[in-house]
Amino acid sequence: MAEPLLVNPDRQFIQDVLRNGAEDVKKCYQCATCTSACPLSTEEYGFPRKQMLLAQWGLKDQLLEDPSPWLCFYCGDCSKRCPRKANPGETMMALRRYLTSQYDWTGLSRLMYRSAFWELGILAVVAGVIVALFTLPHNFGFGLLDRSGPAALSTVMLDRFAPVGIVDWGDKILALLLGFLLLSNAARMFLKLTRGRNIPAHLYINEFHRLVVQGLTQKRWNACASNETVKNWLRHVFLVSGYATMFILVVLFLPWFQVENSSIHWTSFLGYYATAVLLATTAWILFDRIRKNTEMHRFSHFSDWLFPILLFLAAFTGILLHILRVLNQPMPTYVIYVVHLAIVVPMLVVEVPFGKWGHLLYRPLAIYVAAVRSKARELAAQTEGVAVASEAVASS
Amino acid sequence: MDKKLGAYICGGCSIAESIDVDALVQIARTEYKVPVCRTHPFLCGPEGLATIRGDLANHAVDALVLAACSPRAKTDAFVFDPSVVLERVNLREQVVWSHKQRDEDTQMLAEDALRMSLAKVGKVEPLEPAPGEISTTVLIVGGGLTGLTAAAEAAEAGYDAVLVEKEERLGGHLADVRRVPPVRAPFTAARSSDLPQRIERVTENPNVNVFTSTNIVRTQGQPGMFDVTLQTGDERSTHRVGAIVAATGWKPYDTAKLGYLGYGLSPNVVTNLEFEKIAAAERWTRPSDGKPLSRVLFIQCAGSRDPNHLPYCSTICCTEALKQVQYLHESCPETEVYVVYRDMVTPGLYERYYRTVQDHPAAFFVKGDVSQVRRDSTGDVRVTLDHTLFGETAELVVDLVVLATGMVPNSTDGQVLNLPQEASSAQAASQVAEAEKKNGTSGAHDATGILNLAYRQGLELPLLRDGFPDSNFVCFPYETLRTGIYAAGAARAPMDAASAEEDARGAVMKAIQCIEFARRGQAVHPRAGDMSYPSFFLQRCTQCKRCTVECPFGALDEDEKGTPKLNPNRCRRCGICMGACPERIISFKNYSVEIIASIIKAVEVPEEDEEKPRILLFMCENDAYPALDAAGLARLQYDPAVRVIPVRCLGSVNVVWIADALSRGIDGVMLLGCKHGDDYQCHFAKGSELATRRLENVKETLSRLQLEPERIEVGQVAMEDYTKLPAMIDGFMARIREIGPNPYKGF
Repeated sequence: MAEPLLVNPDRQFIQDVLRNGAEDVKKCYQCATCTSACPLSTEEYGFPRKQMLLAQWGLKDQLLEDPSPWLCFYCGDCSKRCPRKANPGETMMALRRYLTSQYDWTGLSRLMYRSAFWELGILAVVAGVIVALFTLPHNFGFGLLDRSGPAALSTVMLDRFAPVGIVDWGDKILALLLGFLLLSNAARMFLKLTRGRNIPAHLYINEFHRLVVQGLTQKRWNACASNETVKNWLRHVFLVSGYATMFILVVLFLPWFQVENSSIHWTSFLGYYATAVLLATTAWILFDRIRKNTEMHRFSHFSDWLFPILLFLAAFTGILLHILRVLNQPMPTYVIYVVHLAIVVPMLVVEVPFGKWGHLLYRPLAIYVAAVRSKARELAAQTEGVAVASEAVASS
Repeated sequence: MDKKLGAYICGGCSIAESIDVDALVQIARTEYKVPVCRTHPFLCGPEGLATIRGDLANHAVDALVLAACSPRAKTDAFVFDPSVVLERVNLREQVVWSHKQRDEDTQMLAEDALRMSLAKVGKVEPLEPAPGEISTTVLIVGGGLTGLTAAAEAAEAGYDAVLVEKEERLGGHLADVRRVPPVRAPFTAARSSDLPQRIERVTENPNVNVFTSTNIVRTQGQPGMFDVTLQTGDERSTHRVGAIVAATGWKPYDTAKLGYLGYGLSPNVVTNLEFEKIAAAERWTRPSDGKPLSRVLFIQCAGSRDPNHLPYCSTICCTEALKQVQYLHESCPETEVYVVYRDMVTPGLYERYYRTVQDHPAAFFVKGDVSQVRRDSTGDVRVTLDHTLFGETAELVVDLVVLATGMVPNSTDGQVLNLPQEASSAQAASQVAEAEKKNGTSGAHDATGILNLAYRQGLELPLLRDGFPDSNFVCFPYETLRTGIYAAGAARAPMDAASAEEDARGAVMKAIQCIEFARRGQAVHPRAGDMSYPSFFLQRCTQCKRCTVECPFGALDEDEKGTPKLNPNRCRRCGICMGACPERIISFKNYSVEIIASIIKAVEVPEEDEEKPRILLFMCENDAYPALDAAGLARLQYDPAVRVIPVRCLGSVNVVWIADALSRGIDGVMLLGCKHGDDYQCHFAKGSELATRRLENVKETLSRLQLEPERIEVGQVAMEDYTKLPAMIDGFMARIREIGPNPYKGF
């Protein structure tokens, strides 16, 4: 038999989770109405009932090894039905915030989730760096209007102001850096979820498709039973499509996207689609958060406001920049260009490795590992069954 | 005594449309020679009632047969002087509403119903109340919360009270607890027990006579006339009281049986009662070494809800644990407190208290089963939990374990037989021997020495389920199997302080009712107000003792030869003695073997070739008969071959009636009464069970007489089963048709 679990409540952990949005977790009395209501919950991953208890008791290690918080898409049915109003849905959300901060090895995420002051401060610092790059002298060869010459003030000459080659290098370096941070966090998560579990390697290959499919489509979400599921899922799919379009344009096709003259290019149409989708979906999400009429948006942690606001502002300044360029307004174009970058870059720096953005990778990864773990368990049960059977045969 | 009979037949509620009323009049006039016989289309209306009252006033009649609705309906209209013999024929519910209109069989049913009532009323005699000087004092046994409340309530309601407490001080367990759980909004903090005020309320009341350090040596007599002998030190006093409230309280479950949870293993394992003392002393340290408490574990259901221990839930241990968690967190907010429960039971608004206590950052609750408790060298207690909601076996290491022990009623056992210690104990000793002999059959026991009843059936209250004396908690709380003695508080059922207070009031109300009924010579619940009581034709008594053994209420005592001696006020008038008596010498003035026999005789049994079978239904008046009325009310239809005889209890059915019926050619007899067994609903506790047992013997006799034993059936019916009743009757009817006609027809 396995060693019993030595229960030793981690009070600091409880405080952290409470502060991350699980204010009501202590109210839970383990009736499991939530788990019964949840169509995604399974016998093996019986959430959110068990996570409520683990959070109440501060069993941090158990939670760090648990993919369940990421298996939930927050339809909110559990919270709606909870007889004690313990908000299991929001507790799962709080756990995701907490886990995000735990996967990060730099400690920045923890700082930012604990305090809005830190989060805004880091955003401001990164934004300041961006502004400085364009305004201070001797700054890697762009932004200097005097060097751009007077011609640049009568007509838009964006390539003089911000040479696309340099910017392109910049965003590729940023992508690599942030990608590295995110992947290293995801690797930590992966290790926590799989360590000591004795999982045969072929299962990782057999189940890999889940990571890709779920990452691209968030298909699993549709198993939620709430009335709002399809609406929420579609909105999210559109948001992702807009975001991905913009990401590809900027990271891979910047030389074709950031153009000089006032003309409209083929990339512009993709940009319109992305902008329209981003503006509409983020505005809609913010509107829902203000109205608080869906379970998913009833409670808003500081981080829940920040990401859609930044995304909205990024899209808004982006399209503004485009309009100003097409209207050939040199000075406003340059200013908005800097503002746009001073929003986009800090947003990515803060959100991708340290914030809410990370769920783009963590969630499909958790679904994948959960499936692998289930299969491994089934396999183990089978071999055990075979062993028992062969033993029975031998003894007979 | 010759009665001047008046028969009144109502035509209302579709009776006149459904049957031939004039034919009924003819039967009354010609077959039974009823001098006054009238019909009216609306008998319960002012005009109809005026007709009846007119005939009574003119002395034209002094006994009434009203053929109208069920005797359970219009009881506010058909009210006459108690000296008038009243019999009602149930034409509406059990004839016209439940059978085909203008049908030959329905008509025969109506005619037989009238005949049966006319036959009965001829035999019934007017009633007189049982005589006696009645005391209005209430004796309260036990000076805990329940007893104190009961004494104060009785005195404030205008009845003298005698309060007896065996300990030196009043207050019982309440004196040992620091606080009690909240009963008022917002239900967040425990409250003071207010014990000094409660005691003052009793001791300051001149109508309460308090005896502390006092035992009851002997209780004899009957409701209204109990003579209770008290012993205080060397002093004895005898008091006459009218009724008794047994508020004898509880004790915690035996700790010697809690070794499996580590009790005795270490001083760091204590019970909830011991923890009250720790809390009262504010000694927040580990008993073994005085180390401050940093982790405390409460184990709920310690020896409760367990077939090997107490099978029941005491309902208070969870709330008490919450209170004790709160004690701890008030004084030591950083101490981590774990509660391991099987189910948190916080009845009613204690739920809010649960929430409040649970909300503390250092309070932790989990469901699980304790599988092992160990002590390690440092003094820590290590507790292993199985089946936890963590999903795995868990271990907790704590400084102190508090076991939530359940409540055991004080009445339930006792190791030492506390005999009345008087020198002239010869009589008492014989009673004890008798009681011991009876132990097995009546559920009586004899060792607690609380009431020391001088009853033929034993010294104490008979115990029912789980060792509590409560007779039937569904319908009649507080009642025991001893009339006039009402159990209250934790002696009746495990309960909290707030419920015990309420219980005390309820039991006092029952005691007062009992006294008032006794004053009028009437029975208590469930035949409240009944003035009939059994009389014994002792010349023919064979001293077989069946009546004295089978009376569920111990109403009958015996003389040395075993001749029964009735205590009328102990009697509930169920007639179980009448059903038991093989010599048929027990009768009520309005309910006797003879009266029912003449009712059976009044049923017309058609010849075999008419192919009209007849079955007799003996129906318990408490549930089965009202259920048949309800079936009629719902217009459910059943076979018109049935003839219904209401009985006070199936236990009162004397087997001779069945012999009478079968020998007259009636094809089958069905007895319908209340559910028996552990969750019995029999209003007289054992009646339906006794009837079932007696019928088994009758069936054997039938086989010997070449009659099919299947002609007799016993069924259990509750009020809510009324929809199933027609199918039960028709099913029996079908079986009887299959068996064929009774060969004794026409003899």
